[in-house]
Amino acid sequence: MTTTSPNQPLTPAVFHILLALSSGERHGYGIMKQVELDSQGNVNMGAGTLYGSLKRMLDAGLVKESEKRIDPKLDDERRIYYQITGTGAKVLAAELERYKRIVTLAQERKIFPKTYGL
Amino acid sequence: MAYDQRILRALYKRLIAFYPRDFKEQLGESMEQTFNDLCNEKQQAQQPLVGFVLWMFIETAMGIFSEHLSLINSGVFMQTIRKTLGSPLLVSLLFILPFMIMEVVNRRSLNEGFPFMLFFGLWLNLFAVSLILLPIMRAWRAGDHDMENSAPAKGDTLLITPKSVLITGLVIILFAAIGPLFSGPSSEVFGMQVPSQFIAFAFLSIPLALGVIAAKPIVRTLRAGGSLFAHPLPLILVVLISFFFVMSVISLIVDQWPCFVGVPICD
Repeated sequence: MTTTSPNQPLTPAVFHILLALSSGERHGYGIMKQVELDSQGNVNMGAGTLYGSLKRMLDAGLVKESEKRIDPKLDDERRIYYQITGTGAKVLAAELERYKRIVTLAQERKIFPKTYGL
Repeated sequence: MAYDQRILRALYKRLIAFYPRDFKEQLGESMEQTFNDLCNEKQQAQQPLVGFVLWMFIETAMGIFSEHLSLINSGVFMQTIRKTLGSPLLVSLLFILPFMIMEVVNRRSLNEGFPFMLFFGLWLNLFAVSLILLPIMRAWRAGDHDMENSAPAKGDTLLITPKSVLITGLVIILFAAIGPLFSGPSSEVFGMQVPSQFIAFAFLSIPLALGVIAAKPIVRTLRAGGSLFAHPLPLILVVLISFFFVMSVISLIVDQWPCFVGVPICD
């Protein structure tokens, strides 16, 4: 699903990729590892899902390709890095705001304890 | 282990080739690198590769299916089909139209049936020639050719090695050898009586597919400004297959010419 409007909910894959890229540019493998880290190992994204989502995000202008360069931690192959765009950052902020509202609502209805700190 | 990984990487590269072209060009290289990085990670952690590789291949195959599905949904697929098949369809129909008019105008009696199968056969052969040759002609016109530059354009293509051309040649010989088996009025296929013309038309798809595949590297090289002769083996195949279809058209027209011009007893 292509998402351009900040009002549209994001798919879990798109959300996690944007979250991973919010802390800096990453290549494909770097995004996978960051998603794994952010989700505490609960989200294990395969290459088909990652690149399918990246393609739609590139088309929607949520992310863009950076110049190719070598990752000193990996081999000496030049890799394409991806970075979040202004639109991508806005869409991510809107999604987080939506999550926050849902959590607040859940707390008001006593479904979710307030001790979780939101 | 390193040998296994080389094979796995080569297989994964082959799998990525099934993505739609735009996707492959934009993200194919990154996907390969990611797969290699994940393989290296598993190797360094001394974890077994089998489960991971199986998961990656299945997950990527599902991604390929999903990308093609989204292309079909977006209408791009239909545009490509229209672009590829439109001109050959039009050219072949325009070519047989005068013969169809001649057949109708010069009917021997008003009750005479129209030979649909004859014109379908004519159209199919012409369509095959157009489908193989029109992209080459279009690429020839579009490219800025330097006949000195015989370097073929890069890219994975079938039928550019002598081995693949040899196999293709054998398929064509096999095709020619089994063709006469279907010369009767009908043949039994899986227990069903099928008119021989339908079987013959189905068999035409084999040289047609080979011709289209053989033309691909030529088209790519011509578009890149290279020479027509950069891929000699595919070029020979294209010429031979086109010749086969053209000869079929000519023989049908020559055979049926008396009927077209209204000779009373022509069959």
